[in-house]
Amino acid sequence: MPSKTAAEDFFKGLWLENPIFRQMLGMCPTLAVTNTVINGLAMGLATSFVLVFSSFLISLIKKFIPNQVRIASYIVVIASFVTIADRFLAAYFWDISKALGPFVPLIVVNCIILGRAEAFASKNTVGRSVIDALGMSAGFILALLVLSSIREILGSGRFLGYRILGTWFEPWIIMVLPAGAFITLGVMMAISIQVERKRKGR
Amino acid sequence: MSLSSRMVAVLTLVGFLSGGFLATVGHLTRERIALNKKMEVERAILAVVPGASAGRIIHEEKDFTVYAGQDKDGQLAGFAVYAAGTGFQDKIVLMLGLDVSLSRINSLTILEQKETPGLGAKITDETSFLVYWEGKDFGKPLSLRKPPAASRESLSASEVNTITGATISSQAVLQIVNSARERIINLNKEGKLNPEGKDAK
Amino acid sequence: MDLVSLLIGAILINNFVLHYFLGICPFLGVSKKIDAAMSMGLAVTFVMTITAVVSWLVNHWILIAYRLDYLQIVAFILVIASLVQLVEMFIRKTSPPLYQAMGIYLPLITTNCAIMGLALLAALKNYDFVEAVVFGVGSGLGFTLAIVLMAAIREQLELADVPQPLRGAGIALVVAGIMALAFLGFSGVIK
Repeated sequence: MPSKTAAEDFFKGLWLENPIFRQMLGMCPTLAVTNTVINGLAMGLATSFVLVFSSFLISLIKKFIPNQVRIASYIVVIASFVTIADRFLAAYFWDISKALGPFVPLIVVNCIILGRAEAFASKNTVGRSVIDALGMSAGFILALLVLSSIREILGSGRFLGYRILGTWFEPWIIMVLPAGAFITLGVMMAISIQVERKRKGR
Repeated sequence: MSLSSRMVAVLTLVGFLSGGFLATVGHLTRERIALNKKMEVERAILAVVPGASAGRIIHEEKDFTVYAGQDKDGQLAGFAVYAAGTGFQDKIVLMLGLDVSLSRINSLTILEQKETPGLGAKITDETSFLVYWEGKDFGKPLSLRKPPAASRESLSASEVNTITGATISSQAVLQIVNSARERIINLNKEGKLNPEGKDAK
Repeated sequence: MDLVSLLIGAILINNFVLHYFLGICPFLGVSKKIDAAMSMGLAVTFVMTITAVVSWLVNHWILIAYRLDYLQIVAFILVIASLVQLVEMFIRKTSPPLYQAMGIYLPLITTNCAIMGLALLAALKNYDFVEAVVFGVGSGLGFTLAIVLMAAIREQLELADVPQPLRGAGIALVVAGIMALAFLGFSGVIK
């Protein structure tokens, strides 16, 4: 693998290897919790917490773990950080924890985290793994924010709970329903592919 | 060390470390989470029983709990009933406030629902739905007025307005309230509604 | 809620894929051919039913009984991972044809959020043992229904002229959206 700069490690997560638009990982929470911006943001931050800390720890202990039991060990590490995130939200942000429901514990099966552990943290230095995790997190949060902004504004005329479109605006209820989640993400996916094609074709 | 014993050692170590760590986290957060849960129920009780400052469980079964709301001096201020039932999409959970003599509804709040946003979800809306439940007669089963009446005054003492476009959600709430009503009346007849219960969890 | 409503609700109304957004990865990944989708659906239903049983026992007899609720996530994920391994070994030994049909999908299931979601939802909704099992079966059947329908639509889509950028995941998601909209029509069938 050619050596890369820290900036490259970070920025590839935003676009070139964006976990959602490029790699199509972690789709379940992306669809489920983006009905409002605050939910999307909370989910993004919780996932980032788990991703960064488990990448750090896994990269730190990778030498001590025999190859055959690495997945099992990674899962235990990840599940432990997820539990911390889950308990922390339930203890200090009860309303958000209730709104996200089972999707906080479900971070444990978010493919982004195990995927990065296996593909990057288990092969690279601690520093690079953390930067990679930060970049992936930023890309994930970015995607959640774009999606939840579109859904909240069109679905209820609000942004972060504040009404930004006047009463003349009839909310598109479909946007906050499951159907809206699928269709918005599908269209966003197509836009990102089109942008990438234009960029490459230049 | 052979590979298999190293595998076992590593897995055991990872398991122990994670278990011990989580036990600490669990211990540190347990009380606060329990408090959050308690506060949520307590807030709902206080919202539907005017003048209450604390709630006590006096009867509990699955998806149905009766609380006695007490004022600052420990006097009975009214009853709160936690009840759940099937809605249009998923479970609807509500809290119903009753006066001291179980003859009138103080107010109704919806605690949990996943009805269609913009239609059935209006059951949580104060002005278009919940307000019609306030002060209704609890002596006989309630019924829905459809199409909805223009003003509160034109509804009878046991009638509430239906939400336009969300008849099923309105009916679901009505059904939960009416079945809770039957259970309350039976419990009361059996003398099981003793306000000297244990503390609300 | 009675058991029949619970079953129908889990299949049609609160469909795992179209309502809870669980199991999206296999739903998009293994829905290009009806046969494969059917096998995947069967494997998921099978594992879900067993998961419902085992996770209920673990949750009530170990986690709740000994106040170890903070270990729930770790316990569930380990139970599911080992369960899938066991099921795979068992099927390979006892029924080669069944293994042929769904064997290769089993390892994929470990990281399938639908299975973990099932264990968590059953615990969250406080189901008793029978309810949890019915919920497991219903959710699995609901998943199967969604993925098979999706595969049937995608087989037809092969012949359609989809705009280039929408091909693949894009159009699949839009189709899923329309399916979710159609499934909305089932709301309220249990009364």
